[in-house]
Amino acid sequence: MKRNVAIIGGGQTYHAARRHDVDQAEMVNEAVRAALKDARMTIDEIDLVILGNMEFFEGVHLTDCWLVHGSGAYGKQGVKITTGGTVGATAVCAGAHHVASGLFDKVLCIGFEKQEEGDTGAILSGVANPLWGRSMAGAAVGYFAMMGSSYIANWGATEEHSAMVAVKARQNARKNKYAHLKLDITIEDALNSRMLAWPIRMLDMCPASNGACAMILADEKTAKARSKKPVWIRAMETAHNEQFELDWRDVKTERLIFSKAAAGRLYRKLGVDDPAKYFDVFEIYEPATWAELIWYEDLGLCGPGEGFRLIEQGKTNIDGPIPVNPSGGVLSTNCIGASAMLRVWEAALQIRGDAGEHQVPKDVRRAMTTAYGGTNWTVMTALSKTLED
Amino acid sequence: MATKDKEWISIPMTVDVPYRFAAGGYMTKCLTELRDNGKIFAVECPKCKRVQLPPRVVCAECHVKNEKWVELPHEGTLMNFTIMYLPLTDPTTGKPHEPPFVYGSVRLDGATSVLDHMVEVEPDMDKVWVGMRCRLVLRPKEERIGDLSDIRYIEPLPGQKKPQTKSR
Ligand SMILES: [Zn+2]
Repeated sequence: MKRNVAIIGGGQTYHAARRHDVDQAEMVNEAVRAALKDARMTIDEIDLVILGNMEFFEGVHLTDCWLVHGSGAYGKQGVKITTGGTVGATAVCAGAHHVASGLFDKVLCIGFEKQEEGDTGAILSGVANPLWGRSMAGAAVGYFAMMGSSYIANWGATEEHSAMVAVKARQNARKNKYAHLKLDITIEDALNSRMLAWPIRMLDMCPASNGACAMILADEKTAKARSKKPVWIRAMETAHNEQFELDWRDVKTERLIFSKAAAGRLYRKLGVDDPAKYFDVFEIYEPATWAELIWYEDLGLCGPGEGFRLIEQGKTNIDGPIPVNPSGGVLSTNCIGASAMLRVWEAALQIRGDAGEHQVPKDVRRAMTTAYGGTNWTVMTALSKTLED
Repeated sequence: MATKDKEWISIPMTVDVPYRFAAGGYMTKCLTELRDNGKIFAVECPKCKRVQLPPRVVCAECHVKNEKWVELPHEGTLMNFTIMYLPLTDPTTGKPHEPPFVYGSVRLDGATSVLDHMVEVEPDMDKVWVGMRCRLVLRPKEERIGDLSDIRYIEPLPGQKKPQTKSR
């Protein structure tokens, strides 16, 4: 990068299915205030505000204009970003690019979603091509169900394996005071939860949450002067896919799909040979249990078809050798526009040692995060504790 | 966090937005062939040879123009599926699909991409599987209108049995 970029502050709201006590601007403001407080800054110091959400989930266009009193963007330079499920990470990525370029020193990035205010399923159908396949595009659950069926048929995993992911996520969420679904569940509970679309049961899917996250990025000089625990953004990668293709719904695909393409480029940039050893913690975007197992494989934490063995062996538990989603992940909290930013923020908290009860019990110097959305694309962000890590 | 004992006002609202989408050059040819001749046409990339359905003007991977049209058979293999237990709204009609129903992705023989569609089979795990051979069932010619609904559904080829799964 042209200039080094650090995360010098961040914050999030409590996440819940209902937030009638706040409107969109008030909810965004909760996260913005938390981030400014964490960075010991005032909004006057911010040079640029980047705001992102899933377009039209709340039925409002131009949220960057509507929410200025909540975001603090009035009279400032601003950017609006809408890249679907990835948007929170895209906002951080764009913010980091703006700082790295030398044009801005202090950038506020915000991601939010108030899912209760609109019809998520109806708006998501707009992700599909209107002339080819939209009649089947009523909800994300069907997509992840098809992925699960391919995983089971090709790799020989069972519903117990997805149940293990469901349990891990909600048990981790119980340690995260901001998480939405803090459920004390067992494998049996997951296997007995209502079937939505075989092989996806209720507890295999993420909830519809309301919430916001905000992060403040700064250049190296500002970060070192202002922050006791800056967390460094070391690499970012994005990769798009092509509509109408199987990608994750054919686990044996040999194409260099979005997830593998982005991970490969990011690892080459950093000189990563073994990601499971190189990174101390992962925060990944898993809207459904099966997606987590495929992420293990596409990120190279194990070989193809071995993802379900990792969860079976407990390797990705909060106290395991490769902790994945100690926060509870998207399976426990999905306020879509904030979800991908929460991955980066939660990873930063782990590096700072500030994650509280869900802090992983080991020295965390490097973290890796993924985002996921749209018709399959990703934004990946790698963080470190120092510029030498 | 919201407190339960206080009243919070929220206002319901429905927005009904009509759209009309242009199919463009490649999709128009594809949909016209489907409607008038009951044929499925894809394009083959001159470079990577991927046979792409629906046909599109440029191969996304190679950035070259797709000019070779390929007629596909109506038979293929089910790559994945789900048995849906939710009354999903069909965004093209506004009406729900009645659950439970089966849908999945079929890869027509010779194609690289897939077609996602309803599978006309009982919602029973013994009646549908990944790898099942299937075929397209079209509407009768006089009922076809030139959109994807001219393909009514995918159905299994007769005379197949679900292979025994290896127990682990
Ligand atoms: Zn090509």
